[in-house]
Amino acid sequence: MAAWMIAAALAGAALGTGASDRLAPLPPYGAAYTPTTVDERGLWQQADEAERDLRDSPAVVRDAGLNGYLGKVLCRSVGEDRCRGVRIYVVRAPYFNAFMAPNGMMIVWTGALLRLRDEAELASVLGHEFGHFEMRHGLKTFRRGRTITDIIAWTGVLSPYSTLPVSLVQLHFAYNRAQETEADLLGLRYLAAAGYRSYAASRIWERLMAEEDATALGRKRRVTHRYAAGFFASHPTELTRATYLREAAGAEGERGDEARDTFLTAMKPWRAGFLADQIKLNDFGGSEFLLGELAGGQWTPELLMTRGELYRERGNPRDLVSAAQFYQQAIDSGCTDPIAWRGLGLSLLRGQQEAAGRAALKIYLEKAPQANDRAAMAMLIGEGGVQ
Amino acid sequence: MRGFRRGLKIAAIGLALVAAPVAAGNKLIPAGQPVAVAKSVLTVTPSVEWNRLSARPGRNSESWTFDGDALNDLTFYGGIEPEKTLFREVSKRNKPLPRIKATMLVTDIPTLVENSYRIALDTPLFTVEGMEPMAFAGKPGIRFTYSFTRPNEDLPRKGEGRGAMIDGKLYLITFEAPRLHYFDSGVAAFRQVADSAKL
Amino acid sequence: MRRGWGALAIAAALTMAATPLAAQEKTGNKPGFTLAPGTATIVLMRPSITVGAQSTGGSYEPNADWTDQARENLGNALAEAQGRLGNRVVNFVEPVGQGAAVAHEYRALFTALADLVQTYQFFPGNRLPTKKRGDSFLWTIGAEVAKLPGVQGADYALFVTTEDHYGSTGRKLLQLVAAGVGGIGVSAGVHKGYAGLIDLKSGDLVWLNADLAMGGDVRTPEGAVKRVSQLLEGFPGKPVETPAAPPTATKTTAR
Repeated sequence: MAAWMIAAALAGAALGTGASDRLAPLPPYGAAYTPTTVDERGLWQQADEAERDLRDSPAVVRDAGLNGYLGKVLCRSVGEDRCRGVRIYVVRAPYFNAFMAPNGMMIVWTGALLRLRDEAELASVLGHEFGHFEMRHGLKTFRRGRTITDIIAWTGVLSPYSTLPVSLVQLHFAYNRAQETEADLLGLRYLAAAGYRSYAASRIWERLMAEEDATALGRKRRVTHRYAAGFFASHPTELTRATYLREAAGAEGERGDEARDTFLTAMKPWRAGFLADQIKLNDFGGSEFLLGELAGGQWTPELLMTRGELYRERGNPRDLVSAAQFYQQAIDSGCTDPIAWRGLGLSLLRGQQEAAGRAALKIYLEKAPQANDRAAMAMLIGEGGVQ
Repeated sequence: MRGFRRGLKIAAIGLALVAAPVAAGNKLIPAGQPVAVAKSVLTVTPSVEWNRLSARPGRNSESWTFDGDALNDLTFYGGIEPEKTLFREVSKRNKPLPRIKATMLVTDIPTLVENSYRIALDTPLFTVEGMEPMAFAGKPGIRFTYSFTRPNEDLPRKGEGRGAMIDGKLYLITFEAPRLHYFDSGVAAFRQVADSAKL
Repeated sequence: MRRGWGALAIAAALTMAATPLAAQEKTGNKPGFTLAPGTATIVLMRPSITVGAQSTGGSYEPNADWTDQARENLGNALAEAQGRLGNRVVNFVEPVGQGAAVAHEYRALFTALADLVQTYQFFPGNRLPTKKRGDSFLWTIGAEVAKLPGVQGADYALFVTTEDHYGSTGRKLLQLVAAGVGGIGVSAGVHKGYAGLIDLKSGDLVWLNADLAMGGDVRTPEGAVKRVSQLLEGFPGKPVETPAAPPTATKTTAR
């Protein structure tokens, strides 16, 4: 279905120069491309090797349902012609990131899936990455990157020489600012053409900025969101980005689908795992902010319990009191996960409330008789002996 | 999106901080003699000989090996104090590690190890498989098992730890090795060392 | 394994140093091991081959054409050399399904093992005390390797790894300038490799030959032949050949 061809306007999108309420039609998409130059073949080969590693890697989430959903969203977003032949890999990494290699492999980190709010935002991320691929940005950057490192070397600063084996890290597709902007704008055109709400793109960056600020505050660092990117920054700072994306989306921005429910349904089985990975990062500020965003004013039992885990993890005396409260609130609002009683018990015990702590742990043991820490918890409440 | 900026920076920082000249001085640990470890009051008596590596993970820790730390790694943590980290932070600014708290329960020890590794190695692939009470140096302690993979390697590893909170400080001994052959071949020697621990 | 960076640092130090290292080329043998010609079957595991360029700044750039050429040339050279190793050599057939993952894990374990042999036995400043005694060379991949799908019927497994980063003109000029200006050592190019033999009955590493400064341009058939002959130097049981290469004493000079 060439639905994406319909309803696109004729005027081009201007780069950050005020409201442009019509986005250009999408360019026609060429047939399958094979690399021709030496540099490009080298990059494809590296991408192919990395893909081979990914296929066997335990870091990849292979669930058919999740992958199928992402494929569906990509195809609606960029159209069947474009999405055919793209291989999507969901990689377990608790940060917001996604990218696409020149050989057609697309990678989405689980931290991105945790932070996205609805299908329109997901479409905007996938479309953006596809935009880099369509415009073959990876190769151009590779060439320019080599020249820059040459310059740095000649001015006496030897760049760090990495001996890391081939991995995702080694595919250093750090796009420059102009390319990021191009991909953003192409992504917007996909969104609009596919009928998604195109304000989705700018909202993501606004939330990411706020989360980074929260992380910095939590670590007692200065918050640093400036308007202009530094000389070596490869991405337009998120503030600039949020702004021009909002402007380019223009009046069309508010119309269109968000498909929030479909998205949340697809993510439901995975949320608990993604949240657990996030809590273990020791990023109190960022995690607290993120939980607040996910709650959106309505704290679910799952989110309350996760908040308890976050506070208990930091573990200062006042945190343990707060944690106990959050776990209790989770239980009171209907949480059935035994982890809530476990967290409550451990928080109370550490806060010198022995009797209440033991009582909560006892309930945990009743609810989770097969837990892999059963014997250890039993010892804490004096039921197992010390060996 | 943000690309690999983050990943590359971490790699560069890690390498820059550790690329000091390699010091000679891996020492032989003879069999059958009690030896104080990790610059602390913790002593063990190994029944076979080991090599002690000159590089230490942190101030109150030390590592032993048979063949090199990538194949077998026995690490001691001797009395890590509250508000300290389990091992040296590579970047306090960007990747701060969790800290020991005086109120920690023994069941918090595996979580501390897990989260420290997840952050330092930049990997979500760390699982605590199980834990159970087991005395350590004569005090109530914990034994736990875990598995993990380093992100740039395809070699799954297994680990086992024994430890306790004693006088508000953390004492811990861990053994890690690839799950292919090396964990099984070295774990008995680790268990003997851990059983011999005294304060 | 938070100290993973330590191993990398050593690797980085080894490749960055311009001063010649005492352990640039080294061979280890399990004491008492011999392999008589015509007595065994050896399975050659898929060689690990990396070829690219090194920019002035030192970063590695992959080059698919070179890697493909190298794979073909080295493949031919290995096939040819196999016939002269004194024993029958067969190519490892990569298993499918679960067996492939196990083969992958063994490949990773062998790489870790070979790196440690170089770090803790070959590199004189860093040897482990238990590895220093006499002619001790006790390294193993574990006896379970006999169960790896695809090695049945063979007595030994041969692993080969080569890595080449060809220094660009810019890099070589930088090397000269840095040396002239401040005596700073800048390495140009990386050409290293190793070959190891595993006894499939015990999993023991009976032979490892490592060289951090290999010769032979693997992008050409003649260069690949030279490279393979260096990799397989001292291979156990190899019949003595009429020497075409210079004698051992001059090995560490630039090639």
